[in-house]
Parts: sequence; structure tokens; C-alpha cells
Amino acid sequence: MKCKRCRRADAAVELPSHHAAFCSDCFFVFFRRQVTEGIRKLRLLAPDDRVLVCVSGGKDSLVLWDVLIDEGYETEGLYIDLGIDGYSGRSKEKVLAYAASRGKTPIVVELAKEGIPIPEASRCARMQECAVCGTVKRYFFNRVAAEGKFTVVATGHNLDDETARLLGNLLHWQRDHLARQHPLLPGEDGGLVRKVKPLWRVSEVETAAYGFLKGIDYVTEECPMSEDATSLVYKEALSRIEDRMPGTRIVFYKGFLDPSNPLRKAPEAAAPPDAAGTPQACTACGAPTYAETCSFCRLKERVRKARTLRAAKVTR
Amino acid sequence: MYNVRMITVRLSQKKKALEFPGPRRVMDLLAEAGVRPTTVIVTQGRKLLTKDHRVEDGATIDVISVVSGG
Repeated sequence: MKCKRCRRADAAVELPSHHAAFCSDCFFVFFRRQVTEGIRKLRLLAPDDRVLVCVSGGKDSLVLWDVLIDEGYETEGLYIDLGIDGYSGRSKEKVLAYAASRGKTPIVVELAKEGIPIPEASRCARMQECAVCGTVKRYFFNRVAAEGKFTVVATGHNLDDETARLLGNLLHWQRDHLARQHPLLPGEDGGLVRKVKPLWRVSEVETAAYGFLKGIDYVTEECPMSEDATSLVYKEALSRIEDRMPGTRIVFYKGFLDPSNPLRKAPEAAAPPDAAGTPQACTACGAPTYAETCSFCRLKERVRKARTLRAAKVTR
Repeated sequence: MYNVRMITVRLSQKKKALEFPGPRRVMDLLAEAGVRPTTVIVTQGRKLLTKDHRVEDGATIDVISVVSGG
């Protein structure tokens, strides 16, 4: 199979959803164009932005960081050590190695030191690990960005992630979530930093292929906490549809993002359901929140109470 | 007795390796291994293989899952 772009080299990547196959060099051009077009069409980033890239050590976030550096954006990486035995250490190694290869030193937040490692926090709060992880990550993404004077937070969510989330929201008619689902969440007065997902147009296969061909050494094992994640069920369903009807995913998502779609509001109007005006400062930590205390502090309080209860049982 | 050289298919996600007689196309090896082609990339050393690539006897290929959860 020959590359459909240069028509000379052997193809390394075939993309049925684009009716295309590319050699390595032409795939790099294609991939970067997909990302930059995604940024341009939705005005995700400006040339003078200071971008905090949230990196996990997986393919998507490291590929995102790589593309943004190559495109000339001012970036710093943020790695959150989740405190998961073995997995977190291996992920961190990949992040540090990649950062060093680009002359960078990532900002590292260690949840064990913050007193809220995911496995223990999940047990104490009696919540799903992924839910706890989401709350904690969102909190630190915003806090580190605000403290470091970053203008925007970028995450490596790709087309598969976004369509899986969309399918889940539709199946459960989560109208509030649908209204807020967008690759751009604008910042707000009160300390909420803008959040963007520049990989919204590219699939997981594409990011994996890009990472491999660029020699980015990413962690290939899956987070042990995410084995039962419902997002995997939605991903598999969409993947089976994509097998039979290539290109369905991007049509599904672009149709959803169409401004005329009544299921979603414009990003400017996409505030949380309990939002009343601008966010206020959390009474416990000062972080922006629409409630009296932020969800991170509420989580920490649940964990603290569970620890106190456990300690009391042990001393009895 | 003669030595039959096989194709080794390493499945990173399942942490196991399977062997098949070759030569065979990547898509046929994936079907034998029960792996859906759209959920993985297939590599041989530093080379990325397309699904119609013919793998020769004695080769080792890696099947890397691209699906991330959470």
C-alpha cells in the first residue's frame, strides 16, 4: 500500500475514516494539520497563550505536548502523581524522560503528599476511583494554572474520549452535561482558568501512531483503577460502529458541536447547573466554586472523617 | 525433525505472546488472536505495520492497545 499523499513511500498508517493511508512523513503533516485546524476552528488557543499541558505519561497527553511545542506555543507540563502503586511511578518516569528530551521540567503534584492519594481517598469516600480522580485532577489543574499565571489548561482528550462521553450523556439524557460538553470551556472571573482539548479531531489510533512514529516513549499499560470504567463500554460500542461505518465518530461529534444543535449552548453560556453568576471563593481553600465549599474540599472532608473513624475503631 | 519457524505475536495488553505459522497478513494474525484491528497499532521494531502487511516466518510483532479508559 502506497502513501495517498506523496504516492511514493510505503504507507505506515491507514485511516479508513479519512479514506487515506500515509507514510510517516506525510502522516506527521496530516496529524498536525488536524490538530491546528481543531485549534483554529474553535479558537482554542491564541499565539500568546501560556499553556499548562496536563500530562499523564500516556500517549495522548505527551503527543499533545509534543505538537504544541512544535507549533511554537509557550508550554509547561503538569504531572499529577496519583499515588497508585507501581503504575504512578512508571507513568512519572515516562513524563520526566519526555520532558527532559524537550529541555523541560514538569510541575509535579504528589497526591500522597497532599494527603489524598486516589486509592485510599476512593476507599474512604466510598466513591468510584475515576470520580475521585476527576475531582482531584480538575482542582489541581485549575489551582496550578491560576497560581502559575497560565492563561489556559490543555488536556489530551481525543475524538474517542469525547464521543464516548457524548454517547454516555445522550444515553442518560444528561442535558446539563450535554450543554457543557465542548473542547473549549471559557475561563471565568473568580479564578476559573480556560480549559481546552486540542486533540478533539484525532482518534486514539492516530495519536498512538503519531507517538510511536515520533519515538515518544509513553506508558502503554492502562490505569489499573479504570478497568471497570463505563467510558470503555461506550468506546467499544462506538468502535464497533466505526469498524462497519468508518468516519461515523467524527460526523457524530461535529454534528453535536454544530452551533445550531439545540442540545448544547454556546460555550460562553456553559456554566454548571447550579451556577449563579460568577464563581465564589471556597470558604475552606479559596478555590473558585459555585457552592459554599469546593468539591475537592468536600472530598477531603469525607476522607478525613473516614480516617478519624477508622483510627477510633483501631484504638478501641 | 526440522525446526518450524513461527511468527510471534506479542499482546502488550494481555501480557502474553502467541505463535502462528507464517507468512500471514497482519489482519489475519489479529483475527487469529481475537483482536479488533481498530483498537490497536501493530509494530515490528521501529516500524509501524499496516493491516495488509505480510509478516514472514520467524518475525516478532507487537500488538499495542490504543484504548485508554477513565
